[in-house]
Amino acid sequence: MHDDEYYKALGFKCGLEIHQRLATKHKLFCSCSATMKEEPALAKLERRQRAVAGELGKFDPSTSFESRKGRRFLYNIFKDTTCLVDIDEEPPHQLDEEALAFALEIASTFNTKVPDEIEPMRKEVVDGSDPSAFQRSMLIGYDGTVGIGGKSVPISSIFLEEESSGIEANTHEYVEYNVDRLGVPLIEIDTDPVIYSPKDAKEIALRIGMLLRLTGRVQRGIGSIRQDVNVSIREGTRVEIKGFQDIETMDVVIENEIERQRNLVDIKKELEKREAVVGKPVDVSGLFSDTQVKILRENAKNGGAVYAAKLTNFGGIVGREINPDRRLGSEMSDYAKMAGVKGLIHSDEDLKAYGFSGGELEGLHKELGMGKQDAFLMVSGPREICHRAIGLALKRAELSLDGVVPETRGIDSRRLVTKFLRPLPGGSRMYPETDTAPIEVDQQRFGQHLTRKVDYESVKKKLEDEIGNKQLADQMIRSPKLGLYNAVIEETDAAPPVVAAILLEKMKDIKRSGIEVDSINDETVIGVFERFANKEITKAAIEEILKALPKNPSEIGRIVREKRLERLSETQIEAIVKEMNMADRGQLMKTIMTKYRLNIDGEELNRVLSSMLSNMK
Amino acid sequence: MYSEAIENALGANGIKIGDSIRLKTTNGDFEGTLMPRPEAGDAGILILKLKSGYNIGVKYAPSAHIEKLSSPTETFSFPEAKTTAKRSLEDVTMLYTGGTIGSKVDYVTGGVHMLTKASELLYDVPELADIANIEARDLMHIASEDISYVEWQQIAAATADAFKRGARGVIITMGTDMMHYTAAALSFMLKNLPGPVAITGAQRSSDRGSSDAFMNLICSAYVAAKSNIGEVGTCMHEKSSDDSCAFINGTKVRKMHTSRRDAFRPVNGSATARVSYNGKIEYLSAYRKADATTDKISAETKFEPRVALVKIYPNSDPGILDYYLNKGYKGIILEGTGLGHAPVSTPHKEYNWLEEIKRACNSGVVVGMTSQCLYGRVHPMVYRNLRLIHDAGAVYCEDMLPEVAYVKLGWLLGNHDRDYSMEWLGRNMAGEITPRTEFEWFDA
Repeated sequence: MHDDEYYKALGFKCGLEIHQRLATKHKLFCSCSATMKEEPALAKLERRQRAVAGELGKFDPSTSFESRKGRRFLYNIFKDTTCLVDIDEEPPHQLDEEALAFALEIASTFNTKVPDEIEPMRKEVVDGSDPSAFQRSMLIGYDGTVGIGGKSVPISSIFLEEESSGIEANTHEYVEYNVDRLGVPLIEIDTDPVIYSPKDAKEIALRIGMLLRLTGRVQRGIGSIRQDVNVSIREGTRVEIKGFQDIETMDVVIENEIERQRNLVDIKKELEKREAVVGKPVDVSGLFSDTQVKILRENAKNGGAVYAAKLTNFGGIVGREINPDRRLGSEMSDYAKMAGVKGLIHSDEDLKAYGFSGGELEGLHKELGMGKQDAFLMVSGPREICHRAIGLALKRAELSLDGVVPETRGIDSRRLVTKFLRPLPGGSRMYPETDTAPIEVDQQRFGQHLTRKVDYESVKKKLEDEIGNKQLADQMIRSPKLGLYNAVIEETDAAPPVVAAILLEKMKDIKRSGIEVDSINDETVIGVFERFANKEITKAAIEEILKALPKNPSEIGRIVREKRLERLSETQIEAIVKEMNMADRGQLMKTIMTKYRLNIDGEELNRVLSSMLSNMK
Repeated sequence: MYSEAIENALGANGIKIGDSIRLKTTNGDFEGTLMPRPEAGDAGILILKLKSGYNIGVKYAPSAHIEKLSSPTETFSFPEAKTTAKRSLEDVTMLYTGGTIGSKVDYVTGGVHMLTKASELLYDVPELADIANIEARDLMHIASEDISYVEWQQIAAATADAFKRGARGVIITMGTDMMHYTAAALSFMLKNLPGPVAITGAQRSSDRGSSDAFMNLICSAYVAAKSNIGEVGTCMHEKSSDDSCAFINGTKVRKMHTSRRDAFRPVNGSATARVSYNGKIEYLSAYRKADATTDKISAETKFEPRVALVKIYPNSDPGILDYYLNKGYKGIILEGTGLGHAPVSTPHKEYNWLEEIKRACNSGVVVGMTSQCLYGRVHPMVYRNLRLIHDAGAVYCEDMLPEVAYVKLGWLLGNHDRDYSMEWLGRNMAGEITPRTEFEWFDA
């Protein structure tokens, strides 16, 4: 990480968009349950979507790109969580009042103003994630703030909108979605782009997340909160990084993104100097009819084609590293992949390693008219896909003459770098939702929601009282696990200090050991604590079960049986003590606990021993 | 329309809808494009489109400061679809009449308006140019619920004209609500069809990427250009999925759902053909084959509007027939219950229809009986009450849909005398009455 001066010199700017599902009973515009449950799909629908001329007749860059991909969309529909509204077969119902109330409370939490009249809008989406091809969204707060470390960060807008569908499968022919999640109320909180360091971005995201949880109005569990970050540097343009699941690494990802943008700006300058030009695709299949290059041979077997194109004066630059393990060529490859190829080959790679013969390369150079400082791109695959792929790769090559490309990017969670998802949506994809009326917030009905604030101090005091440990309580109030903690305390008799220690400390240890402990769903975790509270298992066994659950989801019973984690009863403990027949109490305890660590609670053993001892007296 | 106070303030500052403005109020400062006030909502609230694309409603107070920043620079009109006729493709005429298929969001008003040129549809669905040489003709711009027999006559005449001018098939786009009435009317009006007539529309307007209009148009184009059907029918989604349309004979189809895209279903019959998105046509039941000699086609478009469709229900007042008789009506279609019942043996004299039916028949009005069950066939003999109505002079209309019977009687009385009309009301003319009722027709 660098110091603030470094970011300032770059003109780095960043803004956050935090998306959080609300814990309402119903969806935003229909009466379906907003709680997803695991159930088999009732039916599957197939739909096609296309870009339509948007507002003022312009095609949105992101929507037309998606429809050029020409994919079909499949939708799994469910009994309790899907109705005709979700699948674009019935107009929306009235806005859910509970969702509006919760949204207004959140607006109050972030000190925003509320519009005199709320105008529901349609935001066009053609990635298929909404069967209606748009998402309903409305501005419900503006001009707000969030305080952090004595500073105040402006919250420009808060939106109330519909959640999109969850992806079930994504292939080059179709994308399959589950529409149970679609339409669940979602709140989006946007900061102004006034965050000037990656560390601050992370801190502010954590703070917003905490405040949302403290409202008590939000869903918990995997995927219920998502963070998007907009990043730009002075000489670049805005790039949106979508879907931070692990907020802990947010600063590293942003840091790497800054590095990528810096490198792209440098590349642009160099290409300008070199007067680089992007060429046209050429069918070079004939040059490789007898090739030993494995990828080309395999594709040729299925009647595939090979296309190549010259990049004049790009030599050495296509292979230049712009992020750890990522080159400019990787960006071009990402574009090509959208057409359905596995990747591309470029001249800055070790071509001999692919198996190209000297003759092949010579032929190719001749065919393309390659000069010394030139580079080439090559794609192979079924003819039509291949042609499209090289076109997309060349599009990206051309964009490198502009430097940073306005894009929506995802996260490679292994390398902690960003990767291309799609072009950044433009501003021309919103129009009014004409099937519902504008909403004037009734002061009488919603007054209490408009003024409700998060009571940080009293939540903190309650946690301190329950957990009995200031440090753990402080950790809990900031933790995404707060909701789960509250649910465990509410639904089971498990002792709060144990619950807090396991959720905050043990689970972190398990995660560090490489087990995906956060993938366990909340209901299962609650189930584990329930067994503990009912004295079916010991505290030590909780940890063992949590370690085993990610590989055996929802199978607590089986794990307990197979790992022999049943807690021993007082009578059983007494029998063991008698059988051991040891005089030294300390030695006895140690022996028993070594053997029965997971089945006997130490305190209970101590108690049994004491009572046996006093009975003997 | 905005309130007078707002209109005055806008006028005083020379601001028009669509202008970019700055607004300073006690609830904040805003910059955006001034939008018109939709019919719903408070006329005292200004609607601005912010830079983010979102609209916001701002309450106007005289203390507010309004300032014009700029006038709109761009106006957009849909580009015309440029198509060059391909010799290998058939000529198809598309008659545009209005309805949801032509609805577009008005980006200025935010409301839905009808598109202004039929050719905009061709722009939205470029695939059509590879299926047929389509000539789009603006016939009218009307919502289907506003269509009357006058429009049926115009559409029928235009269809016949299109064939005479060499079209192989005709596509008619229209609103969906009364599409099945139009389909029935054209089925009776158009004689000796030399090619297919596919009526289509949309349940979702074509300004949304998910609209059913696209596939409906594509499949209709396939029917019009490639099938040898010589009938009028609807061509709409077969299922909720976008994979095939059903072409259903215009006398056997009914809109059975308010909003689903597969709302159009065959009743007392099966679809004529299934047309897939990629153009495969699968014939599912017998149909009239096209008679390719175009000079034989005729449009018999006369229609007697003094025909009524009357529903029988508990406590229904038979006096309604007096009303129609007094107005000089020539035909009545009753939508009876079950096998074709109306209350005729009831102890409550005021609800007994028998005398009224008799009186209507005796005064020369043609009375037809259909069933509100929709599915199945009426029968004049099974119960005594049925026989009473039949003996009074009502024609039992077999398995004909009530709406179709209504259209048919209007057409019969428009073109023929009473006796002929009575005779043919209960006999098949265009596929509306089938001799057999197949099991699968009610096995959905």
